[in-house]
Amino acid sequence: MPKFTKEMVDDYAAKLLIGLTEEENKMVLDEFEAIDKSIENVTKIKGIEKIEPMTHALDNFIFSLREDKAAPSIPIEDALRNAARVEGREIEVPKVVD
Amino acid sequence: MLDKTLKEIHEALINKQVTSEDLVKEALAKSYEIKEKYNAFVTILDDAKGRTVTDDLVSGIPFGVKDNYSTKDVLSTGSSNTLNNYVPFYTATVVQNLFNKGAIMVNKTAMDEFGMGGTGTTCHTGPVLNPWDKTRMCAGSSAGSACAVASGVYPYALGSDTGDSIRKPAAFCGIVGYKPTYGMLSRYGLFPFASSLDHCGVLTRCVEDAAIIVDAMKGQDENDMTSWDSSNIHLEKHLNDNVQGKKLFYIKEIADLENYPNASVELKEHLQNFHDTLNKFKTLGVEIEGVSINQELLNAIASVYVIISCAEATSNMSNLTGIIFGPRGNNPKVMDMIKEHRTLGFSPLIKRRFVIGSYVLQKENQERYFKNAQRVRRLIVDKIEELFQKYDGLILPVSSGPAKHFDQDDDCIDENTSVLEEHLQIGNFGGFPSITIPSGFINDLPVGINITGARYHDELVLNLASKLESLMPYKGQIAKEVTK
Repeated sequence: MPKFTKEMVDDYAAKLLIGLTEEENKMVLDEFEAIDKSIENVTKIKGIEKIEPMTHALDNFIFSLREDKAAPSIPIEDALRNAARVEGREIEVPKVVD
Repeated sequence: MLDKTLKEIHEALINKQVTSEDLVKEALAKSYEIKEKYNAFVTILDDAKGRTVTDDLVSGIPFGVKDNYSTKDVLSTGSSNTLNNYVPFYTATVVQNLFNKGAIMVNKTAMDEFGMGGTGTTCHTGPVLNPWDKTRMCAGSSAGSACAVASGVYPYALGSDTGDSIRKPAAFCGIVGYKPTYGMLSRYGLFPFASSLDHCGVLTRCVEDAAIIVDAMKGQDENDMTSWDSSNIHLEKHLNDNVQGKKLFYIKEIADLENYPNASVELKEHLQNFHDTLNKFKTLGVEIEGVSINQELLNAIASVYVIISCAEATSNMSNLTGIIFGPRGNNPKVMDMIKEHRTLGFSPLIKRRFVIGSYVLQKENQERYFKNAQRVRRLIVDKIEELFQKYDGLILPVSSGPAKHFDQDDDCIDENTSVLEEHLQIGNFGGFPSITIPSGFINDLPVGINITGARYHDELVLNLASKLESLMPYKGQIAKEVTK
């Protein structure tokens, strides 16, 4: 398992589209070191690999789904009102393709 | 009047000793006072109006809403700069259910950004101060709600709880904090943090009010597929059931002093308070036993929580780009624009947790971190469920003592992170109903005790909490600033 390095932290931050200061980068590594030690102990639990991962608080729960019927959409004005820039009935977005 | 219980206020309204309009004026005046003193609010609703009083106990009475609940036409920021101008066009189901019964929202409360902290210090409006001692934190993330209820702004406020975000602030502020079984309250309209752990809930000054409010808010919601039909559950009705012969357990590794060889005086007093409280409870015929649980599992709680919650949060919050909502960055290139929005908008805590969340989700890391965390989650939940076959509930002290000073907790986990600080996360791992009530004072500051029960057994959990509350003099207490 490659060690989580300062360069990797910056790389992941870049992929998440967030910038980190040097101090923030160090805090990630410090906190992750504690997590890694804890998980190292977890891997030593006998038979851990055979346990089914628990993905939800009520994973024995039968979810009820709505009927697949078309329902009214929200008014366009409502959808637009939090956008920084609007043109007519559309959100104005920055150019995506150079 | 707003420092009374819901039933007392309702009776005063019915008897025309006070009007709903009077209550709104009182709540707004108090809101400004508490905002000035403790910084508890993001928004105060100056245009709130009195409403018709009906048979519904919540009708005509003001309440507060944590700022991560969507509220139509009212600023809802999640205490984040990334949503500092966001005004939803719909209202969260649980808030709407209260509106439908005549309740009046008077403010939106400050919180750790998107619920991702436990200190009440990462709100974009600044830290929330503890109303018992301004040099201390309320804990978080429902810091503003806890502060406001403890200060007597209104009898209740909504909170949300992904790790312990209702139940720890309740303890630090000397009030009651309750999160029901996962899915009893719809999460529709609650800003998602970690969907498999997120719970809605309430902060009050007595167990009866918590029961009344959750009775009023609950119900299956077609907009939340994880909600379930709870129409056969009546929380308030069962508060006074006989608890003689009920059996509780506590976890010895967490609550016995002998496990802390270097315990501070404060911790010693806290654990003594816990065991003294158990002895009081036993006078009602409740049986309480200490049980041992594998220390390895207990030690893993904090890491399991951080890994799962950060992974889910990284995904949930990838929509925060500043393009469709939130303030846009100024850079003309789209990726740089989004990066500017997220870099400047998120607090350092959130940013580093996103990176951790992203790392543990990478294909090459998933098995070691994310999947193993989910496996330990199951082992812990299975163990607690096994104990719930024999016992009616789990009882434990909250935190390692009273509210901490602002420099005592930076929300980083390290090797010394105590299980005592993090164990309430078990309630989120399993979706168990869980309630904190005040249990005494250390150095004039409140401390709390928590009861957690089996899924869907909310009536029993609140029944037990109500009976224990009746043995102590802290029901309905209002915070009094302690001069240090």
